[in-house]
Amino acid sequence: MKRTFGAAIAAGPMGLGARVGVVLYLLFLVLIPLAAIVERGFAGGVGGIWHAVVSPMAAHALVLTLWTAALMAVVNAVMGTATAWILVRHPFPGSRFLATLVDLPFAIPTLVAGIMLVTLFGPQTALGGWLTVHGVPIVFATPGIILALLFITMPLVVRAVEPVLIELDPAEEEAAATLGAKPWTTFFRVVLPPILPAVASGTIQCFARAVAEFGSVVVVSGNIPGKTLTAPVYIFGEVEGDRPVVAAAVSVVLLLVAVGLLLATRVLQQQFVRRERA
Amino acid sequence: MALIDGAYVAHAQGGKGGQRTLTLGAYTTPREAYGSGVIPAFQKFWKENHAQEVRFEESYLGSGAQSRAIVGGFEADVAALSLEPDITRIAEAGLIKRPWKTGPYRGMVSRSIVVIGVRPGNPKGIKDWDDLCRPGIQVLTPNVRTSGGAMWNVAAVFGAALRGGTSAAKGDTAAAVALLGKVLAHVTVMDKGARESMLTFERGIGDAIITYENEVMEAKLAGRAYDYVIPRSTILIENPIAVVDVYAEKHGGLDVADAFVQFVTTPEAQREFAAHGYRPVDEKVAAEFTQKFPAVPDLFTTRDLGDWGQIVKLIFNEGGIYDRALNSSQGKK
Repeated sequence: MKRTFGAAIAAGPMGLGARVGVVLYLLFLVLIPLAAIVERGFAGGVGGIWHAVVSPMAAHALVLTLWTAALMAVVNAVMGTATAWILVRHPFPGSRFLATLVDLPFAIPTLVAGIMLVTLFGPQTALGGWLTVHGVPIVFATPGIILALLFITMPLVVRAVEPVLIELDPAEEEAAATLGAKPWTTFFRVVLPPILPAVASGTIQCFARAVAEFGSVVVVSGNIPGKTLTAPVYIFGEVEGDRPVVAAAVSVVLLLVAVGLLLATRVLQQQFVRRERA
Repeated sequence: MALIDGAYVAHAQGGKGGQRTLTLGAYTTPREAYGSGVIPAFQKFWKENHAQEVRFEESYLGSGAQSRAIVGGFEADVAALSLEPDITRIAEAGLIKRPWKTGPYRGMVSRSIVVIGVRPGNPKGIKDWDDLCRPGIQVLTPNVRTSGGAMWNVAAVFGAALRGGTSAAKGDTAAAVALLGKVLAHVTVMDKGARESMLTFERGIGDAIITYENEVMEAKLAGRAYDYVIPRSTILIENPIAVVDVYAEKHGGLDVADAFVQFVTTPEAQREFAAHGYRPVDEKVAAEFTQKFPAVPDLFTTRDLGDWGQIVKLIFNEGGIYDRALNSSQGKK
């Protein structure tokens, strides 16, 4: 369907104009700004990037950002898929209302999300105080970072998986159940394979979004260098501290990780499509 | 170009007898002092002497961010910032052509001191810098990379230690770095600015906050409850102001800008600053407020640590004292 629509545009008199328009749009909106960052990052050469990244504080910030984003993405992959599955296949009274709530994190400024978490889990609250006393501080520690990232990226996996599940014919699941397959077997053998590309793409989007998150993290993490300072907040500090080249260098590293992951999903998806067709 | 210049002159002269505009680029903490005190007083002063209304466009940003905005093309006629290096940056960009550290106050408009804010009644009995290193005490101070104010805080602790105002031996740089590291090890939240740091403290986080006397006084003025203690040895904060003459000239407002920068150190304006918790630079006005601003046993200035250029180089540059103290603080609690 998409292909015929695209072909129609290409064939029409508007075809060339539309293509040039889209290319220019992407150029101005994405490519030129990114190129400017990369250019700035390489101002000190590859050695400059290396020097910026291996400084203990920057390295710690990068590692912290990558592992919290990765852990969060895994949790979101599992819980997001489960949420979508329940909402689509096993609706219950009130589930439609819940479904509309899923998008809310996108509508709230992430700074507000951060303040909300501090208000809920801060050491001055009953719950936060109890957790802190028992050695599991949430806010101003890594769990707070992960919680904030989970909150702001929550819709991504759910909304990626949902439409695929809706398109999927329930008859196959029913057949599996009729043949005596247990619900989990049905899920893993029948439901999961076709939705896997959507899960993967949603998860990667979560990760890429989380690696760049600033607004909520700057409020909940505590920003102690070498402990709870994440890469985006570190970059902000370097910009404010008149070291734009260091900031750009660390940004380039984050950018490379994101580009690498996005390319990897592309390749995985193409292989998957090929296998499906074969 | 000549045509454009002519147009500006015409515009400036056309403004005489009518309305003038002045753009103030300031840092965040004196917002109330300027907005509801000094600016209305200046508008009255100018109207009485020149029969013109002065309309102010005020911008308040973190000191470093404001300084960079002005260098980047935000055409403020007057820059009022937290610390000298932020004005120096504008001067080095060629936007301030005349010497600005002139007059009896060397370009400074207001003063304050670095203090320790505590919970009402001081339940943890915090009295001095050393108390911040006691087990279990949680401290707030903003990030020095994003907050000019935090640089004052670090310079206060380090300077106090170096001068023998703490348990560290007088003149022992290594001991002073170690003490700074111990204080930093107790910092649980480094917000990006002084105001954000105060808000975090007001949310109930931390036992103590390293901040400025004027911030605590402004907060008390707004009805919020906390106390503060003045350490035995602390630094005198001096905030600079300067006419960005290249922009002021371009707008045809050099006379108003110059008059404003002169006005802010008059006794009248200094009383407004004092009302908002700033220590006056004018000694006579300061004498009127000795009740409000108690004397500090050992008050030192940036000049006691060298000058700002040296302080930045020694303490805040990569691999400097701050980085060393921070590294030594890792893993300690």
